Amino acid sequence: MAQTYYELTYIVNPVLEEDQFKVTVEKYTKYLADNGATIDEVQEWGIKSTAYPIKKKSSGYYVNAYFHAPGALIVKLERQLEIDDNVLRYLTIKYDNKMLAYREIQKNGTLPVLRERTEEEKK
Amino acid sequence: MRGKPANKNTAARKATVRPPRECLFSKSGFIYIDYKNTEVLKKFINDQGKILPRRVTGTSAKFQRQLCAAVKRARHLGLLPFVAENLR
Repeated sequence: MAQTYYELTYIVNPVLEEDQFKVTVEKYTKYLADNGATIDEVQEWGIKSTAYPIKKKSSGYYVNAYFHAPGALIVKLERQLEIDDNVLRYLTIKYDNKMLAYREIQKNGTLPVLRERTEEEKK
Repeated sequence: MRGKPANKNTAARKATVRPPRECLFSKSGFIYIDYKNTEVLKKFINDQGKILPRRVTGTSAKFQRQLCAAVKRARHLGLLPFVAENLR
């Protein structure tokens, strides 16, 4: 089956107990894996404060995942995330060739750094 | 008679517009602007949280479009504000 590379970021309710985070993350990782997705990487950023309140919470437990999946799974996944009260926000992004190239560079750890304006250019 | 004030206006405008600059993203060798990279995105929004126009930052059209999408994604996830409090 045709597999596309996706990136998923979601925010878990920060009010939960410490081990509840793991359960939630595990649940979605397992859900993906069980439904024909190949997980590439799951990163937990931990509790970060949000720029504005989301569902009356001013912080959230951020999780960032990369995986290959058939397109039909994304619809189901988003429905799951929408229903789940413990997930405040989510964002799935489909990767195109340019973004895949970017991802490769990211894995190698040689991302370009935004250069500063030189003094001469600033005047 | 009619031409003169118009000329004056264009002259006044020309003086305020800064000389064109090169796009920082193209220069630094970016291929994609990541919404997670908030350190970079913050340089392209003002203190109210608005995206700065190209004429101010000198970003190329190609990267301005990507930047715009990246900022909006970051806002959705609460990484950047929609409206920042302006304390005076």
